[in-house]
Amino acid sequence: MNKSKLSPANIVIVAAGAVMLIGSFLAFYKLSFTVFGQSHSQSSNGWDSGLFGIVTIVVLCGVAMAAQVALAAFAPNVSIPDKILGLTWDQIHLALGFQAALMMLAFLFTSRGGLSLGIGFWLMLLAGIALLAGAIMRVTGTGSTPNTAI
Amino acid sequence: MDGKTQPTTSELIIMIAGAVMLVASFLHFRFDTSAWGTGNLPIATLLPLYGVVMAAQIGLTKFASVNLPDRVAGFTWEQVHLVLGILAGLMAVGWLLTDTGDKQIGLWLEVLGGIALAVGGVMMQRERQTGAIG
Repeated sequence: MNKSKLSPANIVIVAAGAVMLIGSFLAFYKLSFTVFGQSHSQSSNGWDSGLFGIVTIVVLCGVAMAAQVALAAFAPNVSIPDKILGLTWDQIHLALGFQAALMMLAFLFTSRGGLSLGIGFWLMLLAGIALLAGAIMRVTGTGSTPNTAI
Repeated sequence: MDGKTQPTTSELIIMIAGAVMLVASFLHFRFDTSAWGTGNLPIATLLPLYGVVMAAQIGLTKFASVNLPDRVAGFTWEQVHLVLGILAGLMAVGWLLTDTGDKQIGLWLEVLGGIALAVGGVMMQRERQTGAIG
């Protein structure tokens, strides 16, 4: 196994995990309002009150997936079990990717009242879908050359 | 009910949790809206849906003798219960930590149900001797 080369699926997962983490610090919801003729806007990110907790799950999914891939590829001294609770890493990636994509799509379709969606949300939505795509690519072997990539 | 269809402890936990979560989803989740209400649907509805899916699978196979495929997307049903249970438990903790402004009885029951699903999913591995635990 060539540890120096990541498969396309794993590249997608690592990139999506990074985007997910960055996006969580950017505006998730925005509120624009006018006071005495002056426009104002406020925003909250995925770590702010009201979002921290439920949004954190999505971030954790992405970070966990990216971290596992990165550790397996770049930290050969770190011992990672082949299975966790009987689940292979491909299955864990599929489950976490599914959860991340599903929750971000759920946020997309949740009524927000006067709030609008910020750049952080859109990055996290994109990353969530990419995580699921990467997990599916891992399972199906899409884009991988056997025995040359991890 | 003969011995063959007698539900195990983990199956009972999951079925009861699923039923409670379905009922709770129609109670007040936060302020005076349910999990199906505006501002909560569908993000707050995912948790009870996981419970309903898990409970329905057990109910269908145990009591209705419905033949479901052995695997779903490469997962055995025991693995599906394990994964959905753990993810439901995660969402339960997530809602517990989220400052929703007001936590009502529906939310508390969803949280308890989500944790019960996680416990049931893990217990099932031991009961069915899948080798995932111990």
